[in-house]
Amino acid sequence: MTMKKKYAIFPGCLMPTEQYAYELSIREIIPLLGIEIVDLEGFSCCGEPMKSVNQFLTLYLSARNLAIAEKDNLDVFVPCAMCHLALSECQHVFENNPEMKKRINGLLAAENLTYTNKRQIVHTVDLLHDHIGLETIQQHVKKPLKGLKITAHYGCHLIRPSEIGRPVDSENPQKIEAILTAIGAEPTTCPQKLDCCGAPLLTNLPESALTKTGQKLQAIQEQGIHGMVDVCPWCHKMFDNRQTKAGETVAAKLAVPVLYLPQLIGLAFGLSPDALGLDLNLSPVEKLQQKEEA
Amino acid sequence: MTIVDLTSMGEPQTDLKKELNARLTKLQDEISDFCFQCGKCTSGCEAHKLLELEPHKIVALLKRGLLNELVNSDIIWTCMSCMKCRERCPQRVAPVDILFGLKNMAVASGKEIPGKYTGMLQSILSMGLIQDIQQATTRTNKTVKRDELGLPPLSKPVDVTKFHAGIMKIAMDKV
Repeated sequence: MTMKKKYAIFPGCLMPTEQYAYELSIREIIPLLGIEIVDLEGFSCCGEPMKSVNQFLTLYLSARNLAIAEKDNLDVFVPCAMCHLALSECQHVFENNPEMKKRINGLLAAENLTYTNKRQIVHTVDLLHDHIGLETIQQHVKKPLKGLKITAHYGCHLIRPSEIGRPVDSENPQKIEAILTAIGAEPTTCPQKLDCCGAPLLTNLPESALTKTGQKLQAIQEQGIHGMVDVCPWCHKMFDNRQTKAGETVAAKLAVPVLYLPQLIGLAFGLSPDALGLDLNLSPVEKLQQKEEA
Repeated sequence: MTIVDLTSMGEPQTDLKKELNARLTKLQDEISDFCFQCGKCTSGCEAHKLLELEPHKIVALLKRGLLNELVNSDIIWTCMSCMKCRERCPQRVAPVDILFGLKNMAVASGKEIPGKYTGMLQSILSMGLIQDIQQATTRTNKTVKRDELGLPPLSKPVDVTKFHAGIMKIAMDKV
């Protein structure tokens, strides 16, 4: 028997304070697939939301969080695309700029922390696709999602910039599509695949942010796609939680079911919608369940 | 240095300003030289259609030394940081990073920070995260919090005073 691979979960800010459906569905399916999730005390914001204000602060916060995981000698599982970029970028800077690494570590000493840059950082998509593997996922499928046309939204922060190392391809990411096929669904691509969700503008231009969201959802709706999966709490907040409002910005009545990828996987595994937090999705997810039953 | 100084990033931050200035000058002198104005960045820019951000023009203006004009303009705050410009630039200029530098410069110069950035920063300073636990609304209009859903306690800095001191050092020690 091999030891169960352990990861420290880095929850970030948005998922553990409001995007509970993502966390619930992750905590349901990941352990089922043979990965142990370890909760650590003391994490803070990853720093990415502060990048426009002060990039040094971003770097400091990222390094601080990685240092906490390093203390317990654990690799890090980061479900948020934005956090995943911040931590990966910190790793990249530490690798290429020893002087900056020294300065940041000097500051971290105040909290008795230090980061030597040896943690592996994974996101939901590569954890599922690369580390758990499609075969294992397939073995757990009890209710294949036959005939469901699903489009994947990866999120900008997950796919770019490839220069610092991202878990999926920057122009033609395919890992979510492969997972969708493994659970019996029909991955469906659309020209808007790489379009931004708009969330980064929430802070200072919320109306424009929603317009961006509305434009993408409207395009998806017009193409007869049954639903969309996403893998970032920011994207999901826009596409699911704010879908009605986003519709108003483009003068359209939007009704696109939007699920977190682990929620859809959980449904294919035959888990109860309650356990997967489906009650927290505000987009019309019942449309998807009806299709599935039909 | 108080919280107010850090959140407003006001005048006391001369060191940070100097460092940012040096970085931007470097970008201006070296990086923007590589740009041959192909416009690939602008053609893919997420903020272009909606808000008329033109990354190739930002690079051109920087090259011409219009640093103050850029720092004081609202256009730099329309970037959605989708990073397509950085990904696709044939010359590796990365307009998105120039924009981050310009926004940081605007903040360090004491310019008013737009939107909710100040609130988020204050929240990070006081409890470590951009927001505390929120009530989520269900499809049936019930409200729930994470403990009611059986989720483990929220991970956040245990010793906030120590955490706070660490962040304050960034402003004081000119990281």
